[in-house]
Amino acid sequence: MEEAPSTGVPKAQRTSREDAWYPAGERNASILRQLVSKDFKLKYRRSALGVAWSVLNPLMMMAVMAVVFSALAGRSAEGIPSFPLYIILGNVTFSLMSESTSQGMSSIIGAASLLKKVKIDRWVFPIEKVLFAVVNFVFSLIAVALVMGFVGISPTVYVLMLPLLVLYLGTFCAGLSLLLSAASVFFRDVMHLWGVVLTAWTYATPLFYAEEILPGWLRSLEVFNPMYHYVRYIRELVLYGRMPSLKLNLACAGCAVVSLAVGALVFRKNERKFILYI
Amino acid sequence: MSETSSNVSGATPASPEGPGWGVTLKLSADTVDDATPIFATAHVEGAVEWTDLEFRYRWSLDVEEDGPLHGSSGVYDDQSQWGFIPPQTGSFWLCVSVRHKHTGVVMEASRWVTVQEDESFRRPPLPSADAPSVVEVKDVSMIFNIASEQFNSLKEYFLALARHELKFKEFRALDHIDFEVKRGEAFGLVGTNGSGKSTMLKIIAGVLDASEGSCKVTGTIAPLIELGAGFDMDLTAKENIYLNGALLGYRKEFIDAHFQDIVEFAELQNFMDMPLKNYSSGMVARIAFSIATITEPDILIVDETLSVGDFLFQKKCERRIKELVQSDGVTVLLVSHSIDLVERICDRVCWIEKGKMRMVGPTDEVCDAYKRLAG
Repeated sequence: MEEAPSTGVPKAQRTSREDAWYPAGERNASILRQLVSKDFKLKYRRSALGVAWSVLNPLMMMAVMAVVFSALAGRSAEGIPSFPLYIILGNVTFSLMSESTSQGMSSIIGAASLLKKVKIDRWVFPIEKVLFAVVNFVFSLIAVALVMGFVGISPTVYVLMLPLLVLYLGTFCAGLSLLLSAASVFFRDVMHLWGVVLTAWTYATPLFYAEEILPGWLRSLEVFNPMYHYVRYIRELVLYGRMPSLKLNLACAGCAVVSLAVGALVFRKNERKFILYI
Repeated sequence: MSETSSNVSGATPASPEGPGWGVTLKLSADTVDDATPIFATAHVEGAVEWTDLEFRYRWSLDVEEDGPLHGSSGVYDDQSQWGFIPPQTGSFWLCVSVRHKHTGVVMEASRWVTVQEDESFRRPPLPSADAPSVVEVKDVSMIFNIASEQFNSLKEYFLALARHELKFKEFRALDHIDFEVKRGEAFGLVGTNGSGKSTMLKIIAGVLDASEGSCKVTGTIAPLIELGAGFDMDLTAKENIYLNGALLGYRKEFIDAHFQDIVEFAELQNFMDMPLKNYSSGMVARIAFSIATITEPDILIVDETLSVGDFLFQKKCERRIKELVQSDGVTVLLVSHSIDLVERICDRVCWIEKGKMRMVGPTDEVCDAYKRLAG
């Protein structure tokens, strides 16, 4: 048969298999990339300011809280170099956790139609939500930088350790997301409950109040609050401009490792049963 | 001048005075098989600049102009050649209109072409015993615990636990299924609704794990199961092609290189930047089909997907699947309760009924037995 141009029928035979498909490992990386870019596009599609909201949102939240809570804080905030910076650091760090876990929690159920038809490693979906939250976190650091400039606190060399915090906290969130996504497949109640837990957690963590105002017994309980350590860590780096203590590093790393271990274990043990419940 | 055009077979001058040029229509063949595209080329003779001309093609079944089926290449453009894929067998009237961009003079030429039953497609031969197998289903059973699917909340679960009602009723969706598919085969799975075909397919596709037995699959799988899974309706078609490609495991560079092919096969060139939610379901299916079949997978799983899109696209899909069936490396698994397509394409068939394997063997034997069931 003669070769003729523009047939409308592509000749797939031209491609060899190696050119077309990723080997298993690279495949997950490419799926993660595509999913993160999808979430990113969808988040800002049709909004006039687009990605600028990633910066504006934490700034506006901080402004509201600073106005409300500076008055309430009174003398307890005296030891804090800049209360607005104190608040925005707590907020962006906490919302990295709350966003990634609440999105990650419903990620498996959300991908149900796909998981029923195509073989894809299931952990990709909760982990993708964590990566997406990390991307947003990085954007909100621009807001942090703006606040620093505004209140006149100059960064020290220790801000270079921020990637380490992202690693600690990202790992912690990954474990939690894996755990929650698996749990919510079997019990949808988890999805309703988690909103309440997050609210309680927000108040239990010194985000917009100085920890000094907590009564003694409550303050000693903060040791068991992982978010307390992460929030302290970023404030050490950015607000106080000093090296976080070894103890704090160990606490952050420890929480991350435990969370990931538990999350991954529960997820692995149950992931084969997901398809029966989604 | 007008004599020139009327001397040539098939040429019809649209203007009685004659503009000084004429057109003839050449076809790649007067008689073609069903599966072959026809290439129509306009030839222009006379005193005219080639670049001043625009072309438009029309076709019609059985009669000139508006037959029972008819269509066109769209608006006038610079392409003097056009590839036409006949939607069915029969006599087709093809006509080219050539328009002069400046004078507006239109000349037409037409020809008839006969499209015959496609004789070239043969079902793949039965595989030899030592051919490498790509799918090995060994004694597979699938057991669902019916009760366990009903707890949607902790309260229900604990209530049942307290009442000691957590004993499950077993339901065997598949009962000791055993078959092997060799490389290059077109293997059919038939059975009535609820017989377990789709469960079997999910096990082969790797999304469901068998309760007993094992299923070994060698190679890449392209699933054509419910087209459009994994599409995001808020993304544009272009973004969805990349997303879906990644989910199927395609390399990004590969999608880059074949993006145009995918779009052309789906015939949706002008809609690439439109969000998918504005697409009709047929258009979505077109995109999904062209992504999944743009390359040769080791195993292509087809599940009743040919019932999507208009008849022209269905025809195109069937032709594409036949193309994949005939290429040596590709194994096709076809699931359908319509016996028709299975008989046309598959060399071997497995018949599953109520979770039990009734028969496995050459298509004609199994299909005859299956049809006898229907009466």
